[in-house]
Amino acid sequence: MNNRVSHMIRALIYVVLLPFATSIMPGCSGHEEHPHQEKGHHSIVEQLRHADKDTIEYEVSTEELMADIKKVLAQVPESEKEFYVLERQSMIKSYPCSNCHSVPLEELKAESKDKKKAHWNIELVHAGSDAMECSTCHDTNNLDQLKTITGKALTFDHSYKQCAQCHSQQYKDWIGGAHGKRVAGWAPPRLIYSCASCHNPHSPAFKPRWPARLNTQKLKELNGK
Amino acid sequence: MRDNDPNQKPSSGCNSGNCSCGDGYDQKLNKKTSRRNMLKSLTAGLLAGTGMVNSACSVTASDDEKDQKQLEWEEFFKGNYRLMTDKEKSETVERLEKLYELNNGKKINVSAQGAEKDVLYGYAFNISKCQGYMDCVNACVQENNQDRSSQMQYIRIHEMENGRINFEDAEDNFFHEVPAEGHFYMGTQCYHCENPPCVDVCPVEATWKEKDGIVVIDYDWCIGCRYCMAACPYDGRRFNWATPEIPEEEVNKNQHYLGNRLRKKGVMEKCTFCIQRSRNGKNPACVEACPTGARIFGNLLDPDSEIRWVLANKKVFRLKEDLGTEPKFWYFMD
Repeated sequence: MNNRVSHMIRALIYVVLLPFATSIMPGCSGHEEHPHQEKGHHSIVEQLRHADKDTIEYEVSTEELMADIKKVLAQVPESEKEFYVLERQSMIKSYPCSNCHSVPLEELKAESKDKKKAHWNIELVHAGSDAMECSTCHDTNNLDQLKTITGKALTFDHSYKQCAQCHSQQYKDWIGGAHGKRVAGWAPPRLIYSCASCHNPHSPAFKPRWPARLNTQKLKELNGK
Repeated sequence: MRDNDPNQKPSSGCNSGNCSCGDGYDQKLNKKTSRRNMLKSLTAGLLAGTGMVNSACSVTASDDEKDQKQLEWEEFFKGNYRLMTDKEKSETVERLEKLYELNNGKKINVSAQGAEKDVLYGYAFNISKCQGYMDCVNACVQENNQDRSSQMQYIRIHEMENGRINFEDAEDNFFHEVPAEGHFYMGTQCYHCENPPCVDVCPVEATWKEKDGIVVIDYDWCIGCRYCMAACPYDGRRFNWATPEIPEEEVNKNQHYLGNRLRKKGVMEKCTFCIQRSRNGKNPACVEACPTGARIFGNLLDPDSEIRWVLANKKVFRLKEDLGTEPKFWYFMD
């Protein structure tokens, strides 16, 4: 009788303690085998907070990659960091505009009544007509440059300042790096595309189009052929 | 953070510290003889048996043919890239370049450039910007010499219905005008996890995380078991069921040993953040090709980098964060 009780107690101990013991053991050995799993407790973002250095001495640079690219230093008082944007003026085909625009616009219009119109292909699809017309951005007194809403002169190279007047959030993101794109590479020095490199200022929205490719092999597999 | 440093890992045969690690024989058999001597004795021993050796020692075979067989022989018995010395790395790279020239008559440039100090690569993807144009996919295939016949692609662009993120219902092989109304686009590829499960499961240590955070594969050490493919929670890895086929004129000749060099049948491959480009300061091909600026790449350790600005100023998320894999690939919205 006594024997049976002690057997039962012993069995009970095994039943209760064994699963408990085995549940601890893989935890311990796992730690030894995979020390890096411990890192899981500190996320990569947390680690980055402690890893920062004042200056990083890069061996790589985009200097060589952007050597032949025309660029200007961005005039961005909002940013402490210096960066470059693509030069724009020399990309404009018929610059300087004053080659044709040597007389005031009204005179030019009257003069060239019977001639073929210039800029006939430009359609303004940018905000409503209440907010936008040619002279909102172009300085009608000097067409070689742009002007801000308050009438201050802007060169075409710094046209991003024009866009920034309305698109302030995009401008912030562009300075920081969440909007727009790097030219050449990721390494410093930083050279980025200007707004008008990607957006046509007269019709800035991206146009719908067909994808660059279709994976016909995947299509076959999906159709079970 | 980067305690997965391969250099700290003692190799099985190199504990004595004075043997030359790197060679396949040394690593596996722990012999102290030099590789060349061993090759010589083995060559002599196998003379009658193998055709390869037969032609290498044949009096009728041309010099080129002999060279080729010798190079192939040495390539076959080289070691795991991670355990090679710098000299051995440059030797294998040279052999690969010579072999390509002998086989195809064209020169390629294979790099063994290592990771740079204080660099940890990270990536961000703007799901408000992506329009599903798939220019990234084209650029990736061309840059990385992927198999054209099976149309292997590292990047998938998932067309998702507005209102939810559901990969089950997403279409990743769409062909209609994009962006489709009521849909947004989400790109996936290898996330180069800080805790990569694919690395843990590899039985031959043919895949590992480099110091700059790029998860790479030694295509010559991979045995093609596809454990890593099964372990990856993100469908980031691809397998070569057949010998990859790329028209000679389309081969990207600017290659890296751990990146876009030509693969063979039966090995794994995947995105390497274009290691042959990124280690030279360039952006990966997908980033450069994206017409909408949805892709951002840079150094996570540099507080002045764009990627760090995104992490600090945008609401970012990653896929399956609860797994603890710590992908270095974030999604965000405008």
